[in-house]
Amino acid sequence: MATLHVLSHSPFSDSRLSSCLRLLGPADGLLLCGDAVYALQPGTAQRQALDLMPTAIGLFALDEDLCARALAAPTRIQVVDYPGFVELSCRFDKVNSWL
Amino acid sequence: MSKSLLIINRQSPWSGPSAREALDIALAGGAFDLPLGMLFLDDGVFQLAPAQQPSALQQKDLGANLQALPLFGVESLYASARSLQERGLEQQTLTLAAEVLEDAALIALIDRYDQVITL
Amino acid sequence: MKFAIALFAPPHAPSSRRALRFVQAALAGGHQIVRLFFYQDAVHNASSNVVSAQDELDIPAEWRELVRQQQLDGVVCIAAALRRGILNEQEAQRYQRSAGNLDAPWDLSGLGQLHEAAQTADRLICFGGP
Repeated sequence: MATLHVLSHSPFSDSRLSSCLRLLGPADGLLLCGDAVYALQPGTAQRQALDLMPTAIGLFALDEDLCARALAAPTRIQVVDYPGFVELSCRFDKVNSWL
Repeated sequence: MSKSLLIINRQSPWSGPSAREALDIALAGGAFDLPLGMLFLDDGVFQLAPAQQPSALQQKDLGANLQALPLFGVESLYASARSLQERGLEQQTLTLAAEVLEDAALIALIDRYDQVITL
Repeated sequence: MKFAIALFAPPHAPSSRRALRFVQAALAGGHQIVRLFFYQDAVHNASSNVVSAQDELDIPAEWRELVRQQQLDGVVCIAAALRRGILNEQEAQRYQRSAGNLDAPWDLSGLGQLHEAAQTADRLICFGGP
């Protein structure tokens, strides 16, 4: 049962991203929102860790959070709006938000 | 058939009401006889450390409530081997009989449940 | 698809607004929200006493309006609410407090409502943190 993991904490001040990456199943997805989109900051270890994720893992980011922070998503990342977030919640079997 | 729920508990025990409120979710579900599991991950494993004295902080004993989990039907208890090891905790000293799992087993565990709450 | 929504963060947290926008998008997409359950600091979203500056978002007001308009089932965890000073008239009287600050459309109830919603829904979606 594939899981969509949702992160919203900055990966520079918090361990959720690293814990989450270790617990991703082969068909899981990861949606970055809020400060978690800072993981896409170029030239960082966090960005590199995401770039190295297997292609079977879906990587997503919420557009408003990228836009607000002037961050560009690499092609590997699918940018979603709220209807897209809802669609992902339906597509995956369950949603695990790292509160 | 009832949906199974895994509660992933990442809260250190004495940093506010979060640890107790995570436990309360499990106890409430257990009372309804729902298939529930609880996984202690990251700082959540500190809830299982031995010889804690919450009275020093005028707090109620969270450990006593954790012991009640099996009585409430929450018998599937797990702890992350990595989280324990990173924090210098030994499995045999834990205050709760939790099954200690490596990352690969944790991935399979999360996969098995219908729903997950991580807090 | 039937969604159960659990919120854990206070109104000023970005995740509270995110939950609100998610619910609006789900409803607009023809999905059903079986229940909103406010737990931990999210109980403050149901307070009638939050005053936002005129040029700022008023998330509690938006939640209230959405629940009313869409006739959603909005449940606030009673134990979490009492602990944080969120009381309806009945609880204010019971504990001899000067005023309640939680009205319709919100209901105070127990954690069993979270489990019941999760059982009824196809998806449980939690929002919290920043």
